[in-house]
Amino acid sequence: MNALPAAGASLPDPLWYKDAVIYQLHVKTFADSNGDGIGDFKGLTAKLDYLHDLGVTCLWLLPMYPSPFRDDGYDIADYCTIHPSYGTLDDFRAFLDGAHARGLRVVTELVLNHTSDQHAWFKQARSSRDNPRRDWYVWSESDDRYAGVRIIFLDTERSNWAWDPESKSYYWHRFFSHQPDLNYDNPAVRDEMWNVMKFWLELGVDGFRVDAVPYLIEREHTSCENLPETHEVIRFLRAKLNEHFTGRMLLAEANQPPELVRPYFGEGDEFHMAFHFPLMTRMFMALRLEDRKPLVEIVERTPEIPETCQWGIFLRNHDELTLEMVTDIEREYMYEEYARDPTSRINLGIRRRLAPLLDGDRRRIELMNGILMSMPGSPIIYYGDEIGMGDNIYLGDRNGVRTPMQWSGGWNAGFSSADPERLAQPLISNALYGYQAINVESQKRADHSLLNWMRRLIAVRTSSRVFSRGSTTFLKPANHRVLAYLRTLGAEQVLIVCNLSSSAQAVELDLGRLAGALPIEMFGKSLFPRIGELPYILTLGPYDFFWFKLRRL
Amino acid sequence: MAQDSLLSDELLRHLMAVGQVDILVGVPTLDNASTIGGVVRAVHQAFATYFPRDRAVLVNSDGGSRDGTPGLVKDYSLDEAGTVTVSHSLRTMHRISAPYHGLPGKGSALRQILTAADLVQARAVAVLDADVASVTPERVAALIRPVKDHQFDYVAPVYARHPLDGPLVTQLVRPLIRGAYGWQVREPLAAEFGCSGRFLSHCLEQDIWESDVAKYGIDLWVTGAALSAGFRCCEAPLGPRVTTAAHARLGFQDVFQQVVGAAFLVLEQHAPYWLPRQQSEPLALVGTPTSEAGEPPTVDASRLTQTFCSDLQNLQSVLEPILSANTLSRLNAIAEGDCGQLRYPDDLWVRTVWEFLAAFHRGVMRRDHITQALIPLYLGRTGSFLIQYAQAAPADVEAALEAVGLEFERSKPSLVECWNQASPR
Repeated sequence: MNALPAAGASLPDPLWYKDAVIYQLHVKTFADSNGDGIGDFKGLTAKLDYLHDLGVTCLWLLPMYPSPFRDDGYDIADYCTIHPSYGTLDDFRAFLDGAHARGLRVVTELVLNHTSDQHAWFKQARSSRDNPRRDWYVWSESDDRYAGVRIIFLDTERSNWAWDPESKSYYWHRFFSHQPDLNYDNPAVRDEMWNVMKFWLELGVDGFRVDAVPYLIEREHTSCENLPETHEVIRFLRAKLNEHFTGRMLLAEANQPPELVRPYFGEGDEFHMAFHFPLMTRMFMALRLEDRKPLVEIVERTPEIPETCQWGIFLRNHDELTLEMVTDIEREYMYEEYARDPTSRINLGIRRRLAPLLDGDRRRIELMNGILMSMPGSPIIYYGDEIGMGDNIYLGDRNGVRTPMQWSGGWNAGFSSADPERLAQPLISNALYGYQAINVESQKRADHSLLNWMRRLIAVRTSSRVFSRGSTTFLKPANHRVLAYLRTLGAEQVLIVCNLSSSAQAVELDLGRLAGALPIEMFGKSLFPRIGELPYILTLGPYDFFWFKLRRL
Repeated sequence: MAQDSLLSDELLRHLMAVGQVDILVGVPTLDNASTIGGVVRAVHQAFATYFPRDRAVLVNSDGGSRDGTPGLVKDYSLDEAGTVTVSHSLRTMHRISAPYHGLPGKGSALRQILTAADLVQARAVAVLDADVASVTPERVAALIRPVKDHQFDYVAPVYARHPLDGPLVTQLVRPLIRGAYGWQVREPLAAEFGCSGRFLSHCLEQDIWESDVAKYGIDLWVTGAALSAGFRCCEAPLGPRVTTAAHARLGFQDVFQQVVGAAFLVLEQHAPYWLPRQQSEPLALVGTPTSEAGEPPTVDASRLTQTFCSDLQNLQSVLEPILSANTLSRLNAIAEGDCGQLRYPDDLWVRTVWEFLAAFHRGVMRRDHITQALIPLYLGRTGSFLIQYAQAAPADVEAALEAVGLEFERSKPSLVECWNQASPR
């Protein structure tokens, strides 16, 4: 076990996040230790060995703070403690120690943009126009300021302004109306948010996933997104972080095209990481189209980022598969191919987990994970996707992808000893994806289960930094159903070849410049014919993929 | 690779990489360097704009161009087609250029394109004419959509042009096809068409690809094959057809003989279908016609009629075995008048054509002599029509052309009688 140094001590590699394999989970639905039907930190701590065994290196926890839960915890009512349902701060400390002892980093949520309307700050702000907290939020006498700014939650919101009957004025909210936006033009808000960060960093948290980054500042006659003043706020917080801590990480959630996300890395003085949202969408698109074009196009369109930065890449997460940043034609295609049932659509996206999106097809699930783990960036696995968990699109909002982790085929899937009616979310119990069929316990026992396959995949991925830090060169063979790319780091080279198609494919790769190299398949260590001057011919079965280490022997 | 293989190994390798497609656009070429760039651009923009979700490939079948046409197809930069900014193809757009093997001529190029389409299981195919400088994305889409969206098997183009333009089509081939097959096809000779995978498979199964029809009359054969084998046919408006000057590779006489010879051969091949058919039906029109009519041609009609009058005298001995005594006598009678004001009536023209067709079928003499002998009569008829309608409004000309078509239908029983009495050569 590779334990991490104690909190506050200098870490061996301040760029650890560049090589991380991140596991995203919700404390509420991961493991319940006290039988109240709600997951908690003691339950999570008990599962650390499972996570360590899986091979992930970092845990990202969804919001764990006091909240009225009108947005699954992203409506925070108190930033500096733990929701009582999840345990105490001491429970959190014990979890953190347990994670670090196993070499696992921990990243928590930092919702900068807004609070819950139940947060004390907002209660004070709305109580009187003279209250010192009044200016911590964005108020207006009319609802016509910042006209034309897009509404993000189109399904529920009609305006970015909401009427506050208490103070008889409008407040600004980019998300739900119960989530008033903080006013970052007020230096006191920035200072207070740094205090929040410091609180958790001093406890030993390794970083923050920062929610809804582009929307911090509002200006008239703009989109109120990605404004220069927003970057100033980020640089302020990053400078504070650098001043007081080392080896900690900030991960930006900015659902924007890569060229618009790029500024959030700054010159290495803003975020360490940012999600690459379009890559995720394009991966699904490429698979259904059986054509590498969308994927290659988005990677080639992705700008260079500073040496100390990294992309966060993923297949699925706790939100909908977002289709905000695609063209109308692309969105229409994605809906038709992945969300024929309109119930599975929400906002501008699809509320489904990985396995149901891919019709439970093991070959496609493996291929998509194989691509994810070999693309430039740090991969993020959403809890339960390592065993192929299903979803429940009939639950409200995006709760259908936030159901309890399926540990076993027994009582409540091994998640909780509570009566099933008390569970934080209902279990998946259908014939295809129900916990009796899909669970950790049974997959641990089967050598060829998805869980064990994922373990091997992660192990190969983490065996070399070429995947996390290497350059990427696409080969573009004539057969567009084949995605082929070289990852290179110094003298180390890996060739990845993927068949995106449901039928067997032959491909001729132009590898003349690698003549003499010996391809060694990285999972089975099988030797393949030496590369010569002539086109290198490979045949791949449906959705097959190869990772070849290229050796000069 | 065996030299006589229909598809070269290189083309096969390309097709293997392309795999199954929804749409294939074929472009036969021979020295089309001046226009091919525009064609490739239009095709790519059509793929991106109108079929962004479909698997698509452009296949250029080249007849041995010496002006670098294949290179232009291969090297065409997609950036040049990238002016499509709003719409955007989701998929890889493939482009293949390959020389064809076999008999020189359009037939071999088309055979290669259709074979490639069959191999990649294309659902919809459009064949374009690389001589046309007015190819647009909309024209490409107009040929594909009826197949893809409305399940038609064959799409004939309709060009926006003046009714006096293209007399070989309007005076001869169009009404001939209408009278015989019983279908009203405005452009039965067009080198551009759309078709389904089902229809192209049928075409490839026919034993015509090594014949003169394939060499000289493949476009008309394709039309006839679609009409005569029960395929769902329609027409699609494509707008005006502008060709380059370099297009005119053959003299008029050669073109006439090839077209008419091929038309008669094709009619002979499809006789079991058309002999019992009566009257005619229009084809469905898919798309919106444009109002452009083009300019009337500038032709010296009196020169055409003078040729008729002089050649008719010289050709008496050739025409006697072809035409009935009555028809020849009527022709001689109109030639004796003022040739500058020649009137070659519809019924006489139709009778002339039917009798030439029957003579061709009977094989009264070498077939190329028969088609050659029709040339002065065609010139006379064309000249007569131009003199009569040079100043007429386009609608009046259209009405006159419709009357010719109806005359071909009305007098068909006499052809059938003549045909059935004749024993083929």
